[in-house]
Amino acid sequence: MNPSTLLSRRDFLQKTGLATAVAAAPLILPSGLRGQNAPSKKITVGIIGCGNISDSHFPAILGYPESVRILAVCDVDKERRDESAAMVNKSYGSSDCKAYADFRELNRRSDIDAVFVCTPDHWHALVAIDAMRNGKDVYVEKPLTLTIQEGRALVDAARKYNRVAQHGTQHRSMKRFHDVAEFVRNQGLGKLDRIECYIPPNNRHCGATWTPEPVPAGLDWDMWLGPAPWRPYTSLGCHYNFRFISECAYGQVTNWGAHYLDIGQWALDMDNSGPVSVEGHGEFPSSGLFTNSTKVDFTVRYANGVPMHCRTRHDGGGTVRFVGERGWLDIARNKMSASSNDLLREMQASGKKIQLPLSNNHHENFFDCVRTRKMPIADVGIGHRTTTVCNLGQIGMVLGRKLRWDPAKEEFIGDDMANRLRGRAMRSPWALI
Amino acid sequence: MSDKASPPAAKTTRSAVDRKSSAGTTPDPWEACVRIEYGGDRSLAWSVREEIIATPPQGHAGAEARLLKALARPDCTDAGRAFVCQMLVMVAGATSVPALAALVRDAKSTEAARYALAAIPGPEATAALRDALGALSGPAKAGLIGSIALRGDASVRYALAGIKDNPSEAAIVREAATRALEHLANAKA
Repeated sequence: MNPSTLLSRRDFLQKTGLATAVAAAPLILPSGLRGQNAPSKKITVGIIGCGNISDSHFPAILGYPESVRILAVCDVDKERRDESAAMVNKSYGSSDCKAYADFRELNRRSDIDAVFVCTPDHWHALVAIDAMRNGKDVYVEKPLTLTIQEGRALVDAARKYNRVAQHGTQHRSMKRFHDVAEFVRNQGLGKLDRIECYIPPNNRHCGATWTPEPVPAGLDWDMWLGPAPWRPYTSLGCHYNFRFISECAYGQVTNWGAHYLDIGQWALDMDNSGPVSVEGHGEFPSSGLFTNSTKVDFTVRYANGVPMHCRTRHDGGGTVRFVGERGWLDIARNKMSASSNDLLREMQASGKKIQLPLSNNHHENFFDCVRTRKMPIADVGIGHRTTTVCNLGQIGMVLGRKLRWDPAKEEFIGDDMANRLRGRAMRSPWALI
Repeated sequence: MSDKASPPAAKTTRSAVDRKSSAGTTPDPWEACVRIEYGGDRSLAWSVREEIIATPPQGHAGAEARLLKALARPDCTDAGRAFVCQMLVMVAGATSVPALAALVRDAKSTEAARYALAAIPGPEATAALRDALGALSGPAKAGLIGSIALRGDASVRYALAGIKDNPSEAAIVREAATRALEHLANAKA
């Protein structure tokens, strides 16, 4: 897709006949009142989901007071949304950041340019698609979606509505990961033998049974569940812990796999494709609220024969290691090591034949693209492919047998059961349309 | 306590077999899985799940039959019904459609049944979803419309257009019909 074809919000609204609504809408921030730049020069933002993951976005976005403005926050938990709105307003010294309980109301505001989707995973697709349908650019937290089917729908919506859509895999905007991917892409390790991803273990645990609890005041539990199958409320299965319940997420496979498998995909030049097979064995709890694997171990294999392993690392955080005929490179967020210092020196050298796009700040890259209408460093098309690898691992471990995958058709070959696990029906009234 | 001396211990002790028998009979997981409750022990349901996953394609019809038999049990709980329908997602075919068609029309069971029906390929499941349109209302009807649209069932266009323009329908249903019509039009294009 030609990046120049991405429409600005204003163009979008005119094209879709919503310009009248914009014209009729009040100015966002009368600049003369608070001595700020003209509102039209600022990117106006809404943040949907005010839980754990939004904690990393608020300070980052508030760090651009001259160019970006948070106008609205949304959460189904009143305490969270009110606290977030108050925090934003305190930071700006104003009172115009509004709190919403329903993301659809926020998305329908004609004065918001971009939306950050920071909800639990099972909501990502619906919230992002609704935002793009309403002319917003989106920054969608990782994993891009819960299922493969949702990911394809989200990417299709981004293309249909010409939106800038960034996946929240910020390793793509960290030079260390960029350099390694570029080095591997340029055969710096010689012939690549394998990639080894290690992801952290589960950091929450529960017993074999649980007790339904009254829904706390201020929490809209029905809306929190949204498209996920109904179950009674328990504090064990709501904020943060949702990631360990397969109706809402796929555990550390998607939570951390989305980061480290993503670098493998990048280094392999698989941003528009993926592996051709998966095989794995996870350890899943046979009772209790949590249903996702406590121990992850799967391998995807690419058409060139290179395998990428993903395993739980019980002694620490995530890493990705590239092993080739010239040695190995091991990279994490805070460290990098290699089998020899020569490899590290070569990696830093300039003039490589293949040069990967460079971004040093994931938020800035997104905001730049909102202004320029260029493709972001981690466009959702790329994010979908990486999230698909996570899903392949999940499905491979659930079924416990080798599966063949057609990355072009995005379907398993010869395994009807596996294909049925690529998507799922949503609870009423939600649907992926 | 009696001061009378205790009789000497019997020479015979309970054998390993006796100890096992005193533990009682293990419930049949295929029966027990429909009685699970939210928050309760689901380990027997897990056994069923593992068995289904390990079933080769030629055994899917047999697994499907066992699930349908479980689904028909009168002691089926809401959680049990949801579980069985989630299992049907993996193995169900046209054989399951009549039972699910009845459940999808009932507001109490429509979500679980639609979850399974949506995964079943073929015209039988498509027809079951379409035929339930007149039986549901409110959010359940909106969700049903979404599932119908995702199957690309263009034969419902006329019905959806009627729903979209019917002021007596709930706003959420009319909105779903509008979205479904758009989806079907795009799919055709």
